Amino acid sequence: MKGTIFALGALVLAATSGAASAQTMSYAQAGALIAKSCGPSIERFCATVNIGTGQMQQCLTQHQDQVPRQCFDDFAAVQTGIAKRVAAQANAGKACSASAQQFCSGVKPGDANILDCLLDSVKVVRPACKQTLVDAGWAN
Amino acid sequence: MTRFTRLVGGLALAAALAAPLATSASAQTADNNQQILQGLSSVTNDDPSLTVELLRKMAQDAVAQNQPLGLNKSAIAQKLDKLAQITVQIQFALNSSIIRPESYGTLGSIADAMHHPILWNYKFVVVGNTDATGTRAYNLKLSQERADAIVQALVTLFRVSPDRLEALGLGQEALQVPGKPDDPINRRVQIFNIGTMGPMGKAWMNPQ
Repeated sequence: MKGTIFALGALVLAATSGAASAQTMSYAQAGALIAKSCGPSIERFCATVNIGTGQMQQCLTQHQDQVPRQCFDDFAAVQTGIAKRVAAQANAGKACSASAQQFCSGVKPGDANILDCLLDSVKVVRPACKQTLVDAGWAN
Repeated sequence: MTRFTRLVGGLALAAALAAPLATSASAQTADNNQQILQGLSSVTNDDPSLTVELLRKMAQDAVAQNQPLGLNKSAIAQKLDKLAQITVQIQFALNSSIIRPESYGTLGSIADAMHHPILWNYKFVVVGNTDATGTRAYNLKLSQERADAIVQALVTLFRVSPDRLEALGLGQEALQVPGKPDDPINRRVQIFNIGTMGPMGKAWMNPQ
């Protein structure tokens, strides 16, 4: 019975982490997740480390016996999520260039005009373009 | 303008649709993100003569000469009032430039806005302000360190291009409420849109 519960727990864990890695994360969600999972440890062990220095994970690792595992897992998930979002945002021009030419040729670029046009045409833009816009956080 | 309004409406709708699945914290920041986009994208008076160097010099001179604090907004504050801007609350450790974890989400919201194509082609200055408690010189130094810490977090953790960001500490030289110089309301971080990176529309999906 204990074995079954453990297996079920592992399954739930796998499903949850699978769902998290299948989508990108907004920067706001990323910041909030670090704060939630690591905030208490940061205030306790790394109160003189700023988040932008890149030294925070190293500091937390130095106290890993006392820092919850969830903090390390979520910190890693945040970095993966941000990297995927950065990649999607960087790739959007390429992924959507054909759709932009097809549906938005008369639109003056700049101030997100092309993005706005693509979102207006979202039912017909190419799937790869749409997926990139979703991953970039500009469509849903 | 109609296009922009529609898009922002879309973002608000997205936030509302996402809310049932998200924690209350992320619903809050999604809301902020929309306000940040709106505040920073309304470029009206792009004044090329208004530079970070000029503002820094004005603040340094005010401190060096110990210019009296008037009841009206300072010359610096009046210049800044013309720019598209937002004011955010970032929590720092006492007398320190360490950003407290409770503000990481707010920093992320700012990054979300800066990574949106509406704002891609723009540069920003992150301004730190204190109230008038403590010495002027100390306040100027602390606010610069705090503005630096915010820029550093936006660049390293949230991947905003460093070319688009400048940090400026103004200490107590641009009080929000000059009539109440010691009021904590004066402690704030402001972000100003200070113009374009390059010609508009050259690259419609230029990643920054």
